[in-house]
Parts: sequence; structure tokens; C-alpha cells
Amino acid sequence: MQWINALVQGLLLGGLYALFATGLSLMFGVMRIVNLAHGDLAVVASFLALALVGGTGLPLWVVIVVTVPLFALLGYLTQRVLLQGSLSSGPMATLLVTFGLSIVLQNVLLEIFSADTRTLDSGSFATSSFHLGPITVGWLPLVTFLLAGAVLAGIGVFLSRTGLGRMLRASSDDRETASLVGADSRHVYGVATAIAFATVALAGLMFAVRSSFDPATGPSRLIFAFEAVVIGGLGSLWGTLLGGIVLGVTQSIGSQIDPAMTLLAGHLVFLAVLAFRPQGLLAGRTA
Amino acid sequence: MSDASPGGMNRRSFLGAAGLGAAAIGAAPLLSACGGLKGTGTSSSDVLKIGYVSPQTGALAGFATADTFVVKQITEALRGGFTAGGKKRTVEIIVKDTQSNPNRATEVTRQLINSDKVDLIVGSSTPDTTNPVADQCEANGIPNVTTIAPWEAWWNGRGGKDGEGFTYTTLFFFGMQEFADCFFPMWQRMEVDNKNVAALWPNDTDANAFRQGLGPMITKAGHQVVDGGAYQNGITDFSSQIAKFKASDAELFTCTPIPPDFQTFWKQAQQQGFKPKLATVAKVMLFPSEAEALGGLADNIATDFWWSPAHPYKSTLDGKTARQLADDFAASSGKQWTQALGSIYSLFEIAVQAFKQASDPKDRDEVASKLKAMKINCMSGDLDFTTGPKPGIALQHPVGGQWRKGTRFPWDVVIVDNTANPAVPVGGDLLPTNA
Repeated sequence: MQWINALVQGLLLGGLYALFATGLSLMFGVMRIVNLAHGDLAVVASFLALALVGGTGLPLWVVIVVTVPLFALLGYLTQRVLLQGSLSSGPMATLLVTFGLSIVLQNVLLEIFSADTRTLDSGSFATSSFHLGPITVGWLPLVTFLLAGAVLAGIGVFLSRTGLGRMLRASSDDRETASLVGADSRHVYGVATAIAFATVALAGLMFAVRSSFDPATGPSRLIFAFEAVVIGGLGSLWGTLLGGIVLGVTQSIGSQIDPAMTLLAGHLVFLAVLAFRPQGLLAGRTA
Repeated sequence: MSDASPGGMNRRSFLGAAGLGAAAIGAAPLLSACGGLKGTGTSSSDVLKIGYVSPQTGALAGFATADTFVVKQITEALRGGFTAGGKKRTVEIIVKDTQSNPNRATEVTRQLINSDKVDLIVGSSTPDTTNPVADQCEANGIPNVTTIAPWEAWWNGRGGKDGEGFTYTTLFFFGMQEFADCFFPMWQRMEVDNKNVAALWPNDTDANAFRQGLGPMITKAGHQVVDGGAYQNGITDFSSQIAKFKASDAELFTCTPIPPDFQTFWKQAQQQGFKPKLATVAKVMLFPSEAEALGGLADNIATDFWWSPAHPYKSTLDGKTARQLADDFAASSGKQWTQALGSIYSLFEIAVQAFKQASDPKDRDEVASKLKAMKINCMSGDLDFTTGPKPGIALQHPVGGQWRKGTRFPWDVVIVDNTANPAVPVGGDLLPTNA
């Protein structure tokens, strides 16, 4: 029974990882940008929400609904102002820009909010649960999992059904040819970053409700997003969900065997995928 | 836009880039600017320089909240100077930031020794600071006192030899025995149906010291340890530990995780139905900000308190009481006191005392010998460096306190058990964490 419990909890945890990895996958898939500030952006979103809750006294769910689009806007601006310029200088330049951004964000947060550990207080929601037979399922992980599924499905529909989505895919495949037929790559990239930022904000907020955050927590969260992306397969949206779930379940089962194995088990699966199936479990189009 | 190679990065270069990024993250502290603010001082040759090393930024920054305030307090208290070695002396304090990184701690300590030419170095908070700082001081013959690190970590981690001890480095804090003296009486007072103690000890230096040190003491005291297993710090899910604790029906709980992990664990434990009757935690819940972050779930979590405004201690510099120091801190910073406030204050008291006792405060060997023989009744209580478990160590005796809703600040500490240090007045009854 403990094994089933581990499986269920791992599955739900995978939802959080997937939600977290979506933005990373999207930004790399479309613009070939490896965003090293991904984890820090999640923390920034958490602090933004914290400030909004403190400043306006609005309930947390309203703040989340406000923060996510706000972050999307921020993403669009970041791409147009900060990242677009470095794109032409090759992948190393964007990498360094995002790395610099990561350091700047951490220190700005420390300056403004101090090093205190914070959390987003969702009242009893964070700790309430229901029983599924002998297994206790928390509402928060369940909602996070469902959100991850909904977000990925939504992005999938957007990419395949809408004109903008098609342009996004076209720019991703071949930017110059797409520009020839009228796709403004700068705008398209801005939209992709906006979506990525919105998802990372949502993931960051769910993370913040689940545990806690301080200005230094960003980088440690980045690694899980990387692993989920690589395990699932670059460029595949559902691969990201699968990658997140595989990572979550592996960690959870590993922990059940021996708690010392928790993170190691995840890393080993990551390594195994790299060694034996480097295109990822669900390979999308070749990047 | 210019025509950079589109899609010039494939999967392999993504991974390469990611790896490079990860390496770069590790190197971050080296890239950041060197911090450090200088205290006041004159340029006369009778200035005694004290270097202070602490983690003011990064993961351990919570320990250093009171740094600026303490340095200001000390500078003010010593404004008139003092007599040492037959001359009037003034003190200059040079502050360095470790950025929570042991390598950086080594580097800034070297700077203090080589560039700033300090006469004595004090350092605070966690073995990641105390050990590299002390190692540098020992190697370079600089008198040194540090605090807020279990003495076992400071002693064993630096290869201390029984009977000999170190020449230049000293520490005041406590160890496993004192944790036991603080926690066990509370466990015995709490009426529980079984003797199981759930223990959340990760796989790191601190927790392994608890596993090897406190574990046998718990067994000896007639309890049974239910070890959740040596997990790695930074995991996001504690389901397997919680399942194990639930299966054992443990009503007592103890832990030494890193603070963010405790927040995750404690919420998840509530969610999945592990509600121990009494939680006595170590290493976490030391600061009000942590209690605030946990919200209602922080109620009646017990931990060890080696300093609080309720402790009956006074400054050797200006006679200020612990209560006054905490109030002044609140007034000047708008923040609530932390335990580090008293400890950091005492570092400077001890330094000044050693200077005063030495016939030549510039003689490093003599100052170091005064540190090792120090007996002082200061802001951290009675400290005796001659009777510690090892040479050069003075022991403090923490008492049990519980977090409760406060009046002035959202959360405050009530001392509930003073068995380990009867001088500290008890402020309230021991209550179950989960009734």
C-alpha cells in the first residue's frame, strides 16, 4: 500500500515539475534560449504575489489570477527589450544574459525583501486533503496536477489551432523563411516568452503555496525543470508532462526504497535517458 | 534583425550550455562584488581592529539580520575607548560577508588578516562560517572566537585533538548533550502513549551529527528513534517519511532539516495526517520569519533557545539587559529580535575583554591565551572557556521555548521548560503542538 501511496504522491508531484518545465521547454524550443533565470523568475512571481497580498489584502486566488497575466506582460517586455538583442550574438550570449539576470534578480530580491523565508498562505487549502481508500490525497497537489494538464492542453491547442500558434511554430522551425511570409519574429518570440513567463509564474506560485521561498531558492528549482525537459523530450509538450511525472514518480519511489535515494534516483533516470534515449521519451520534432 | 544562424543550437549544445550554466551557478559567489562595510575608527596606532565574518547574503542570511545593528551598538558603547595594556585604545570593526559560502569565508578571512591587518577575528553562524574562519585564524596565528555552530561540528570538523585543543581559536555554543538536556524534559512532561520519536534527519553534516550523537542518547533515555532516513536536502516531497512516521504512531517529533525543507515537510505532514503531539525541532524555527512563513501551523512548535529577551543577561560593555537590547533592535530596525542578536553581541564583548586582560593587546599569542582562559558573564550568560568539553570551548545551555501568537509581533517565543538552565524564567506552560 505504501508503494501505491508513493506512486500517487509522485504522480502529483510530477504535475508540479511539468508545470515548472513548460516555460523552459517552450523558450528553448522556439528561440533556442536556455533560460538560467527560470527558477529565479518563479521566485520573483512568488514575491510579487506576496507583495500584492500584503498590499491589497485580496484573497490569494485573485492575486494569482492577476499575477500570471502580469508576468506574461513582463515576459513579452523582457524578450523585446533584453533578450532579443542578444539573440543575434549566438546561444552563448543569451545564456550569459539569463545568467546575469538570475544573479541580478536574486540580489534585488534580497535587497527589497531581505533573506527571510516566506510562503504564500492559502489558509487551510495547503493542508487539506481527502481520502482515497487508504491513501491521503492533498487538494493542493491535485489542483496543481490538473492545472499542469490544463495549461499544457491549452498551449497545445494554441500552437496547433490558432494563426499565431502556427506562426510560432513556423518561426521556431525556420525563422527566416517565416519572416519572408510575414511573420514578425520579434513579436512571435515575445508571445512565446510571455507564455513561458505565465507558466513559470503559475508554477512558482504553486511551489510557494506548497513549501516556501526566499531570494536564494531559484537555482535549486531550475535543476528539476531541466531534468523534466530532458527526460520528456525537447520540443514535445506532452513529453514535458511525461518527463515531470517520470521524475516525480522516480523520486517518490526512490525515497520509498531509501530516503537517501530520492534525488539520486531522479538524476539516474535523467542520466539513463541521456545515455540510451537522448531524444527523450517522447521526442518532438528534432530541435 | 541580423542573420545569425537560425536554430544554430541543437540538443547537444543545449545540454552543454545547461552544464555550463550549472557550473556558473556554482561559481556565482566569485563573480559577485566583495562586500564589507567599515565601522568607525581613528587612524591612531592605538586602534585595535576586530574583523567580523558572517553570512550577510545568501541562504544563511537570516542569521545575520542583526549584524549592522550589533556593530553599531558595539561602536557606540566603545565610543569613549577603553584602557588596555596601559594605554587608551579604540576599536575599529571591519565587517566581511561570506555570501553563505565556505570558500568565500576563507577568502575574506585572509583579506582581513593580510590586507586589513586585524588584531582579532570574530565570526558567526553555522559550521560553514565558523570552520573556515577558524582554520585561517589558526594557520595565521590570529586570535579568534566564533559562535552558533554545534561544538562537535567545530571540533571534529577541524580535526581537533583531545587534550591539546587549538592555540588561537575558540568557540562558544553547545552540542548534542545540551540538545538532549533541552528536549528530553519536554518529551517526558508530554503525556504520550508510546515511546517512539519520529526523527527527520537529512544527509548533511548537522543531521548526521544528530543521528550519531543524539540518536543513542534518545535510545538511552528510553525512547525509540524512528529515523525517516538520510534524504538529500532540497527534496520537494516527504510522502515516504510521513508514511513511515504515521505507521510508527510516533507522537514525538524532532528534526534538523534546512529551513525551506521544514516548511515543505510540516505542511505536507498536516496534509497527509501526521500530527505529532509535540514537535521539538532543531536548526529550524530559530527565527520569527520562519514562524511567520508557516502561519498557523507554527503554533506551539518547540525549539531550543540559547538567547531570548527573557534571559537574565547583561552587557559587559554598558550594562544593557537582554530585554533592552531586543527592544532597541526592534526600535531601530522595525524587526523582531533573533537569537543571533545576543550571540553576535557577545562575540565583541569577549574580544574586548581579551584585549583588556592582555598586558599588550597587540600581542596575538597573549590575546589568544586570554581567550582560551576567558571567564565572562556577558550578554550570552556565564561563559567559561576553561571547563568546556574540549579546550577553548564554552558551553551555553539552551532552554525549551514554544512559538505562540504574539502581541507586538505576529509570533513570539514563550519559554516553557528551563530544566537545562534554571536561571531563565519560565513564561508559560508546555502545550501540545497538535492537541
